[in-house]
Amino acid sequence: MRPLGRSAILSIFLFAAGAATLLMSACVWAQPHPAGMAGADSQPSQKLTASAIQVERIAAPADFLLPEDTSVSMYENLVLQLVKTKKFQHVYRSGDRSAADVPDLVILHLIPEAYKQGSQKEREVTTVAGATSIKVKVEITSREGKVLLDKEVEGKVRFYGENLRATYDLAKKVATLVNQTF
Amino acid sequence: MKTGEVQLIAEASSTRRASVRGSLWLGGLLAFGAALVLTATAAPTFGRQSTPPTNLSGSPIPGVKCVIGLEDIKPGAKGTLASLPDGLEFTAGKKKADIAISSIQDVFTGQESRQDVGGMSGTLVKAAIPYGGGRVVSLFSHNVDVLDVEYMDSNGGFHGAIFVLSAGKATALKNQLVAQGAKVSPHLDAPGPKGEKP
Repeated sequence: MRPLGRSAILSIFLFAAGAATLLMSACVWAQPHPAGMAGADSQPSQKLTASAIQVERIAAPADFLLPEDTSVSMYENLVLQLVKTKKFQHVYRSGDRSAADVPDLVILHLIPEAYKQGSQKEREVTTVAGATSIKVKVEITSREGKVLLDKEVEGKVRFYGENLRATYDLAKKVATLVNQTF
Repeated sequence: MKTGEVQLIAEASSTRRASVRGSLWLGGLLAFGAALVLTATAAPTFGRQSTPPTNLSGSPIPGVKCVIGLEDIKPGAKGTLASLPDGLEFTAGKKKADIAISSIQDVFTGQESRQDVGGMSGTLVKAAIPYGGGRVVSLFSHNVDVLDVEYMDSNGGFHGAIFVLSAGKATALKNQLVAQGAKVSPHLDAPGPKGEKP
């Protein structure tokens, strides 16, 4: 067998590195679309209007075990992503007293429904196992308590990244949903 | 006849030389990759050894990652976390953020596992290692402490800051905050991730 030349080996190495980069990009793009938001037909028929939104603290049911850092990360990521949508003049945090003066305020509640804690090591070693996922019910209500939107959204981290990245994924999906609703 | 034999011997010799050169080149490339990975793996370990295992009272903790939750601090910023008499102070470069003791509503600690070779560059290095070597590198991880501080701003808005510290420092810091008067509700700290405890 003819030995490979230096340039051939270098080409193979560069090709492998390029292929790996492409594969990773594909993995990132292959993340699933938000639940119920893939098609245009799933968009709400009538858009809502509100000048401000208030994000309530994540209220997990009593028998539901959700790590505190996950809950906090979900809340903070959601606030950041809602600000990024630029749909509202103000995004208020839970308990903010200045929200009391806003007439058309809407309130966003996240109710955790399912949580599966994965493992970053497992994900990176096996590729197919160790995914972390969070499923929540997104509820947007008026100040009077009238439900304006009620949908389920799931955040995941499947291939690369720490477990808390699932909360970032979830927040982005909720922000997309809000963007389509308002 | 003899000329032909000499030519054949010369060709065989040059082929062998090229083969040896090729093998050496490939071996060097692999050794370089392995050395790169080992250096990256060893760096955090040596870094950990040089720091004391527990936080001394009031001394700033360097190399803390603020995952999210501080005003004016970019998520994922690395900096120094210091416990001052009136609260916590996180400094990342020229930016500073404070959490007053009186505004703290709750403090949680936990443990997590982090990859020794991580981040975007680490992931690319792991992906570039041939024959699935990157997966072997992924087996190396270390434990870290997670500190969640829940606090209110001046308008009563709820905030939650998440810090990742070296192992063994979060509990000491939490105790220090409690001693300074921070509110803490009675709760069991959540166990770490299953499998790669924590």
